[in-house]
Amino acid sequence: MPLDPAFITDWGSAGIRLATPLILATVGGVFAERSGVFNIGIEGMMLVGAFTAVATSYYLGASADPAVISLLAAIAAMLAGGGIAFIHAFLTVTRRVDQIITGAAINILALGLTNTLFRAIWGETGRERVAGFPEVRVPVLADIPVVGPILFQQSLIVFVAYFIPIIAAFVLFRTTWGLTIRAGGDFPLAVDTAGLSVTRVRYAAVLFGGAMAGLAGAALALGAVRYFTPGMTAGRGFIVLGAIVVGRWHPMIAAGACLLFGAADAFQLRAQALNLGIPYQFFIMLPYVLAVAAVAGAIGRASPPQQLGRPYRREAG
Amino acid sequence: MGRIGCRGNQEKAGVGSTDQQSSAPELLRMERITKRFGDLVANDEVTFEVLPGEIHALLGENGAGKSTLMKILYGLQQPDSGQINLDRRLVTIRSPHEAVSLGIGMVHQKFMLVPNLTALENVVLGVSSPRPPLLELRDPRRRLMKLAEEHELAIDPDVPVWQLSVGAQQRLEILKALYRGARLLILDEPTAVLAPVEVGQLFRVMRLLAAEGRGIVFISHKLSEVKAVSDRITVLRLGRVTGSLPTAAASPSILSSMMVGRDVSLERVSPPVQGDAPILELQDVSCLTDRRTPGLDSVSLTVHRGEIVGVAGVDGNGQRELVECIAGLRPITGGRIAIQGRPPKGALRTIGLLGLIPEDRHEQGLVGDFDVAENLVLRAYGRRPFSAFGFLRWNHIRSHAVEQIDAYDIRCPGPETKVHHLSGGNQQKVIVARETQEDPALLVAAQPTRGLDVGAVESVLNLIRGQRDRGAAVLLVSTELPELFAVSDRVVVMHAGQIMGAVPPDPTRLGEVGEMMMGHTIQVAGDGGTAA
Amino acid sequence: MESAATLTRLVRRVFYRLVVPVVSIAAALSVSGVLIVVASGNPLEAYGAMLQGAAGSIGSLATTGVRTTPILLTGLAVAISFRAGVFNVGAEGQLYVGAAFATVVAVAPLGLPGFIHVLLALLAGFVGGALWVAIPAYLRAYRGVSEVVTTLMLNFVGIYLISYLIDPITGPIGERNASYAQSALVQETARLPVLISGTSLHAGLLLGIGLAVALQILLRYTGLGFRLRMLGGNPTAARFTGMNSSRQIVIAMLISGGIAGLAGAGEVIGLRMRLYDRFSPGYGYDGIAVALLANSSPLGVILSASFFGALRAGANAMQQATGIETSLVLIIQALTILFVIFGPLRGWVATRTTRRAGLTPGGSESAP
Repeated sequence: MPLDPAFITDWGSAGIRLATPLILATVGGVFAERSGVFNIGIEGMMLVGAFTAVATSYYLGASADPAVISLLAAIAAMLAGGGIAFIHAFLTVTRRVDQIITGAAINILALGLTNTLFRAIWGETGRERVAGFPEVRVPVLADIPVVGPILFQQSLIVFVAYFIPIIAAFVLFRTTWGLTIRAGGDFPLAVDTAGLSVTRVRYAAVLFGGAMAGLAGAALALGAVRYFTPGMTAGRGFIVLGAIVVGRWHPMIAAGACLLFGAADAFQLRAQALNLGIPYQFFIMLPYVLAVAAVAGAIGRASPPQQLGRPYRREAG
Repeated sequence: MGRIGCRGNQEKAGVGSTDQQSSAPELLRMERITKRFGDLVANDEVTFEVLPGEIHALLGENGAGKSTLMKILYGLQQPDSGQINLDRRLVTIRSPHEAVSLGIGMVHQKFMLVPNLTALENVVLGVSSPRPPLLELRDPRRRLMKLAEEHELAIDPDVPVWQLSVGAQQRLEILKALYRGARLLILDEPTAVLAPVEVGQLFRVMRLLAAEGRGIVFISHKLSEVKAVSDRITVLRLGRVTGSLPTAAASPSILSSMMVGRDVSLERVSPPVQGDAPILELQDVSCLTDRRTPGLDSVSLTVHRGEIVGVAGVDGNGQRELVECIAGLRPITGGRIAIQGRPPKGALRTIGLLGLIPEDRHEQGLVGDFDVAENLVLRAYGRRPFSAFGFLRWNHIRSHAVEQIDAYDIRCPGPETKVHHLSGGNQQKVIVARETQEDPALLVAAQPTRGLDVGAVESVLNLIRGQRDRGAAVLLVSTELPELFAVSDRVVVMHAGQIMGAVPPDPTRLGEVGEMMMGHTIQVAGDGGTAA
Repeated sequence: MESAATLTRLVRRVFYRLVVPVVSIAAALSVSGVLIVVASGNPLEAYGAMLQGAAGSIGSLATTGVRTTPILLTGLAVAISFRAGVFNVGAEGQLYVGAAFATVVAVAPLGLPGFIHVLLALLAGFVGGALWVAIPAYLRAYRGVSEVVTTLMLNFVGIYLISYLIDPITGPIGERNASYAQSALVQETARLPVLISGTSLHAGLLLGIGLAVALQILLRYTGLGFRLRMLGGNPTAARFTGMNSSRQIVIAMLISGGIAGLAGAGEVIGLRMRLYDRFSPGYGYDGIAVALLANSSPLGVILSASFFGALRAGANAMQQATGIETSLVLIIQALTILFVIFGPLRGWVATRTTRRAGLTPGGSESAP
């Protein structure tokens, strides 16, 4: 296995790039699950975010600085993701519908909507490049051999992904909001009788999760490729669910799991050229197998929020 | 409280004003509260008041309306009519949040604590932070410990709640209410989960709090405790106030008649039938709880044919594990269990061996979405005549159900009625009918009368007696001492997973039972098999 | 007199079962109609074309049947798992592995009479699907691990595993020198018979319908079915009757996975005659939607799968006639599910059926 620095840099750089959408969506998913809502529809929200980002960038075209456009696109993506998440929240929290079925329906809806709108806007041709996130190169730090370019020469959105898990962990464990969210997924009745609204907490967490998934979609579409392909999330939303479990519902550990998955993804793309004797498909499989192993307790045990997946009903009478 | 003239029948629907009313304005006055749930009138023109510094007990059987009244007070329900005054000011309480801000604190029967958070975090949940949204823990910690010290409520603030004992959790609940400045504290059946010595501690805390000028509402259905700690007692029955009087003037028989409407004496109906063959034998049985803590500790017990052995004890002292081990639902880590000489594994599948009336009829005893007929064959569906060659024979299942509905007087529109539509008492009858239909050698009944109204309690106890009379060995686990004493031939007491001793159902021995429930061995803890 | 009363009761019961899905479908079509209008199309024209494409001729009906078959089977797979209280969201992966197992048997020149060869291939498909769900089943039954995440993740492992198996360069059953990843051609003797000559409608549809009937009988009239329903209704109570819940959960999931495997097998030996990479456009996930729409009733799944199959079949015709994207049907599908679960209609149905039974809504559990 060639360990020359160029390969490592190339691989590491790609790994971080591929991990970024996962990290963003995972942090959002952690919040939602901590509050007690399982969101299988992250895949759909990412897809909608990706589409919205590209469409926004496309329509804003040449009207402004690409950096500004990408910022607006990101915001639009977050709003779109949040909008879809609102449907999820409404059905699962207010109507107390089963969370798996809701999420599955949302995925189908997202695929249908984005495919339809994609064809409507770009017809069969599709691949027009739009303005994406600007590349950022941190002076001095990016000059560090091998590691420098990996960490400090990336798209802007990657740097955002560096900070989000840390901020998220702080919010979850050091603020009153985070305390309420953690209580909401564990024992919502206590939250209710403390005078807080379980509904509001869950809505907030789910909407945040949706916005993050939307941003992740924007990262996916505008981070490197800068165009939209139907179904481009290709199951990443589901890996996120695995990362949440491997990460024991902690934003930073889950982000670490995403880095691992990104590295595996980057590796499989390069493995074909390496003639390793292991078919590349097995590297793609790796994150999923890891997730199963983690859930099975093979990689240490952590318990999910106790009320994860269960709608909350204040027992009246 | 001062001397008050005899109230009893001079009172109408319990308006309680005393001689000394003018000096101390009532803290709380609930006036003519009415609440209906469909046809059921949960509260009927109830008037209830609490003075500052008073411990006012609210007494009544299950289903009398106590919980509803307190839910209204705490904002979890809205009254259909009536009003609530705090400090002589009219208030509407639309949510627990509003109740708390008005100074009302509640300690629920099922604790409102988040298991994975620490005690301190639980206290702080919902309290606005001085520097929002940052979670400030230093000042709250100090305040909490000070409150804990002042009121003799020992607590470790940094332990996750799931690791705390039940008594500690209750102390935490009280501290939570005090932390939020509760001037009126409602305690809903607080002693149900405490051992007698902890009950004494709780009463001391209550008196301390009352002495500070707070008002305390003490909900209970236990006459002895109410007599021990309260200043005034209000009795509810079927949604109405049947009496309100100072504790000093209340005798057990007056209170009982207010509660039930007739002189309740749970008399022994038939003399015990002694059989000699031991049906259930436990020898030095040990097991673990779900939390991997010791559940049963070297328990030895024998139940013979034609006898009812009652198991008394505070809830949570191993009774659940005892039942599950006997039924083969929990593995034992030591000793031996035999039901007619066979191990409990597969006992529930063996015809005529074991009938089990589980503690929680909803969770453990019935499938709510199944109808009555299906629930009646929940165990027997695979056998003749209900099944043939693996296929169910619905005509037999249905006719069987019709028979049982008639025999056990199960009130329902028909055998296709979904069981979750039935009342608690009728649901319990379905379970009893099912579990006794093969005339099992051993019947284990865990808290069979929990949550049932008086009529249903009587039915169920009679059914159990009937089983004993037919020759079954019966193990009756219950927290209700009067019922145990009325029905059992022998009473053993459990504490911390051990059998502390056994007594005959002689009311004069109640004191011994109480001590054993606390952990004091009175007799040599033998096999619990000999009646004294 | 008796039979008239029973008949009315039956009709009434069917009505209440159908009203929610039918109204939801109508609502979904209406909303999608609005979308079509917004896109300057004509909804009536579009739906008309769709109807033509789905049922306008023998050919159309055949196409509907072809599209229905795989989701009928995955729908049954998901439905049976739902009834037992487990969420098998891994039908997608199970169908791929089932397809692979069936392919291995079907491409082999075994020299067996057609009937036997087909049966063996189908059996292999069932085994493949069951095998793929075995680990999640064990984890759920004996370790209490949520089957949702495990089956979901294994979907992708399954997809990529098959991708490897038919890889033209490295795959053990991949056809060498092929331009796309595919397996060898299925033997003549291993092919499912065509039902209507000139079309691609194959016996897989009959398999699905037969299986639906069998499952309905299983659930309602056998001891195993009673156990599974008990498990789905109240697993704790099931345990308290002495049932070995763990074993029953595994059985339920194996049946479920196996049926999903049959879905994949059917596609290979009934429709395409080769195992292709990524041949499923999400049949496994459609199964979830189909099961929900049918409220997990096997006979109902026949109807809901047919509806989705018709949508898919009509989509192409709609696109050709009016230019409206086929992906619109995905929107219709999703909206249908969302309307079903949205709920106020369900509440109404629940109250009506309760009142009929002579009980007050909510029962007598309103305790003081």
